[in-house]
Amino acid sequence: MAFVMPTILFFLVFKYGPMLWAMGLSFTTYDMMKPPRWVGLENYESILRDPIFREALANTLVYIAGSTIFITLVGLGLALAINTRGPGRRACMSAMFLTNIMPILAVCLVWRFLFHPHGLLNQFLGPLGFGRLDWLTDSALAMPAIILVTVWRFAPYFMVVFLAGLLTIPPEYYEAAEIDGANAVRRFRYLTLPLLMPVTFFVVVVAALLSARIFLMPFIITGGGPGNATRVLSMLIYETGFSYMKMGRAAAISVVLFAIVMVLTLAQMRLFMRSEEEYS
Amino acid sequence: MRRRARLHALSRWSGLAPLAALAFLFVLPIVWMTTTSFQAGEKMFQLTTEWIPSVWHPENYGNALSRSAFPRFFLNSAIVSASVMLGNVVFCTLAGYGLAKFHFPGDRLLLLVILSTLMLPLEVTLVPTFLVIHKLGWVNSYQGIAGPLLIDAFGVFLMRQFILKIPSDYLEAARIDGAGELRILRSIILPQCKAALAVLALFSFRDSWDQFLWPLVVVSRDEFRTYPLGLVRFGDDYGNPPTEQMAIAVLATLPVFLLFLVLQRALRKGFDLSAFKG
Amino acid sequence: MKHASNGRAVTRRQAIKRMSALSAGAAAVTAGGPRVFAQPKAPMTLSFWTFDNPQQRPWIHKRVNQYMEKNPNVKVDFQWFTFADLGKKVSVGYATGTAPDGFVTGDWLMPTWLARNLIAPLDVKLLGYSSLDAFRKDHADAFVAGAIKDGQAYGYPLWFYGFCNYLNTKQFKEVGLDPVKDQPKTWTELGEVAKRLTIKQGNKFTRQGFKFAMHAAQWTMIQFNPIVSQVGGQWFDASGRCTINNEAGVKAMTIRASLARQYGAEDPADSIATFPLPQMDWLKERCAMFSCHPIPPAAIKSQNPVMESEGYFLPVQMAGVTADKRYTTCYGFNFVVNARAPKDKQEALHDMYRFIMSDLVDCWQATAPFTLARKTGWTDDPRVKSFPHVGEILKAKDNGVFFPRTPIWTELADAMHRAVQKVMLNNADIKAALDEAAAEVDRATAEFKKA
Repeated sequence: MAFVMPTILFFLVFKYGPMLWAMGLSFTTYDMMKPPRWVGLENYESILRDPIFREALANTLVYIAGSTIFITLVGLGLALAINTRGPGRRACMSAMFLTNIMPILAVCLVWRFLFHPHGLLNQFLGPLGFGRLDWLTDSALAMPAIILVTVWRFAPYFMVVFLAGLLTIPPEYYEAAEIDGANAVRRFRYLTLPLLMPVTFFVVVVAALLSARIFLMPFIITGGGPGNATRVLSMLIYETGFSYMKMGRAAAISVVLFAIVMVLTLAQMRLFMRSEEEYS
Repeated sequence: MRRRARLHALSRWSGLAPLAALAFLFVLPIVWMTTTSFQAGEKMFQLTTEWIPSVWHPENYGNALSRSAFPRFFLNSAIVSASVMLGNVVFCTLAGYGLAKFHFPGDRLLLLVILSTLMLPLEVTLVPTFLVIHKLGWVNSYQGIAGPLLIDAFGVFLMRQFILKIPSDYLEAARIDGAGELRILRSIILPQCKAALAVLALFSFRDSWDQFLWPLVVVSRDEFRTYPLGLVRFGDDYGNPPTEQMAIAVLATLPVFLLFLVLQRALRKGFDLSAFKG
Repeated sequence: MKHASNGRAVTRRQAIKRMSALSAGAAAVTAGGPRVFAQPKAPMTLSFWTFDNPQQRPWIHKRVNQYMEKNPNVKVDFQWFTFADLGKKVSVGYATGTAPDGFVTGDWLMPTWLARNLIAPLDVKLLGYSSLDAFRKDHADAFVAGAIKDGQAYGYPLWFYGFCNYLNTKQFKEVGLDPVKDQPKTWTELGEVAKRLTIKQGNKFTRQGFKFAMHAAQWTMIQFNPIVSQVGGQWFDASGRCTINNEAGVKAMTIRASLARQYGAEDPADSIATFPLPQMDWLKERCAMFSCHPIPPAAIKSQNPVMESEGYFLPVQMAGVTADKRYTTCYGFNFVVNARAPKDKQEALHDMYRFIMSDLVDCWQATAPFTLARKTGWTDDPRVKSFPHVGEILKAKDNGVFFPRTPIWTELADAMHRAVQKVMLNNADIKAALDEAAAEVDRATAEFKKA
């Protein structure tokens, strides 16, 4: 169809071309100064043997899992909290949404200061009984710190998504349930949750997709440290390609990341292909 | 009767308090950023927060803007982001319409293929994309920066899903009446998609406004530098106090916030928020 | 034309007068060289990139503008980037054919460019030297060693600095120490002095005695490398294997960790150092001593005007720098020429570099106390001599030991940075951390050899 043509052309030139070039590159060794040289599966073997790659892979999976779980929980919680009758709800929602549209670089710079041992976050937590928390220099806290910023940034967006889902549930259902004697908890468990399943699934998969590609946050806030505690795959790709000038190896790592993301996205595809038979 | 009404009103307002506190906690870092941007340089590292500056330093803004070519950088970012927003709105809608309402062999597969471009991390396509831009002669130019961002697969998907919901009967009826495809697009599809278009516009603007790595690779002259590059380079120079960095961060936040405010009404159409009028 | 050549002749006469008052080697500089500031023949555009620094970049820019005034048919496209990005931009530039014709490079990257034949050999005659030997003699060994390969010079050293231990004299006196007499000369003394200067409130440091920089791989190497040399350690053995995890390496890392672990004078996690101001903790008087490159008065003034105006600071030689092992660290920057640039542009760049470097006193006045690599042409000038503490700063430069010269410098620095983080922030076992680092470096070496 003519409508789709310009998009197809665009993707061929700017997405697929580079993507295939990069995938091909993963079978070569290429330092950008000399032409690429074919090495077959050597890059893949090499990265699988590399403890830093394994650590980055683990970090990425932990990060995706942690971010997704908490974004979903917090997003749902916020949506439920907002979804009550009363004044000021819209203002609160808009205020929280600001965290999602603030420029990411500003977010990183601000939080880097907030995480200082004597910074704002610890100033809040201190009176609550926490000792000094070295957010960015304690390897046990660094990843939670990045996840915290991620949730802070993305939960409000998914709050809106959940809210849209909640609003599609007809109020009559709740009234009927109340008449039948179900309390709030039962109503939530047996009515709200099941009806929210499609939306929840969407949130989980999209959140995972976003987390898989995260780069700037660990890059600016912790630089991958301490040690390798927050080194995620996208950072490793950038370093391997641009600091160490090993583009072939970087391409191989990115193919692995691509595979992970593909699994996540295919799950989303299956969901949507199924549910839309109802519409068109 | 009156007491009951009063109690009812009270409960609704008291429900607001914890919610407002939560919203305030979320927004606190943004408040901190703004407050710090008006502080003197030394206050940054005193590591105790002075929420209302005892001495205001609005000159941080003027200084920051004059120390580096930020007015130019912001202008460049604005031009690039506006173009990307426009490109996305136009092309994603066209493609979304094509994929939603026209069935041709392989249309499902095509959607999957388009969506798969979301899966590859940016870092590794930087160099090949740069080579493409270089061949086109677009290095150090607005088209060079905006080009690869012009159509986002997520936008295509969003518009497709939205347009899918529009009953095909309307379209059939219009076609029988003799309306051309573009006319249908303009009079039937677009008005129904206001919310989706607002979402698309906001997020495509924000995403290109945020871009760091790609402009870093494709730009090597101040003429075309976008503000994130300028801000990071600004931070590298010790003559520039971090409070001035915060000032630039605040300025960078304003355009996206403004766009959000402008689009709020259209955004709300997408969600039936009449429940909140209470 | 006549007026112009007259002007040039006067300049040359003045230059000869100045220089012949100095060491004999200087005479060789002007004797056999071609006409100074030769006019490139045809109009041309040169692209030139450098890194950002509040004093250095504007000075180079100024000199480039002056060069363009003197040579109206040469246009220089002058661009600058953050310190961290310059190397990457140049690499991407080489990969895509958009690299600049000339640029400033950190000396530690010279092996990287040389291994891939990316920078052109320099014709020292066009820079004003009669021979490579004269060029060599005009610079301290440590600097040119990295720029000379196979009997050719590939870089023209610009700034090179040594590191000094900056003391806060007011804090010294507060605890009854004399900054001159009690300045620590050995690592043990440093630990003891630092301990006396430390002030704690509970488990929180109000003042740390001595701090190491923890914020960037470059600085980790800067401060660790001399310790390795002092204890007789080696980065690589003859076969190219990384030996930082041997006994000497462990000893070096133990010394590195001693300030925090043994003497309790440092808290590695508590720092406000920033990339542009690694000495921020010292500037804000949160620590009494810090090892740093020469600190410009403007930097001190920007964060601590009282310290600058009252002058209660003193740079001294870093601990461990003894009479026989005079190893402090130093690093610097070279002017280089893109090997892929056309011949005429390469020649024009030689000319431009020579011009830029023809007034080093002007450089000093703009960028003090960043020291210049060249021996001649500035150190005897009264304006240089009168700079506070300049003697110590020059001594540090001349006693400098350079970084290990390897084409996998970035990988090495990153591996060591991670090791230091593990040791200092996660309390890791020193031998284990160094074993991991050495393994990382060996892997990087293997990868490099494959390419």
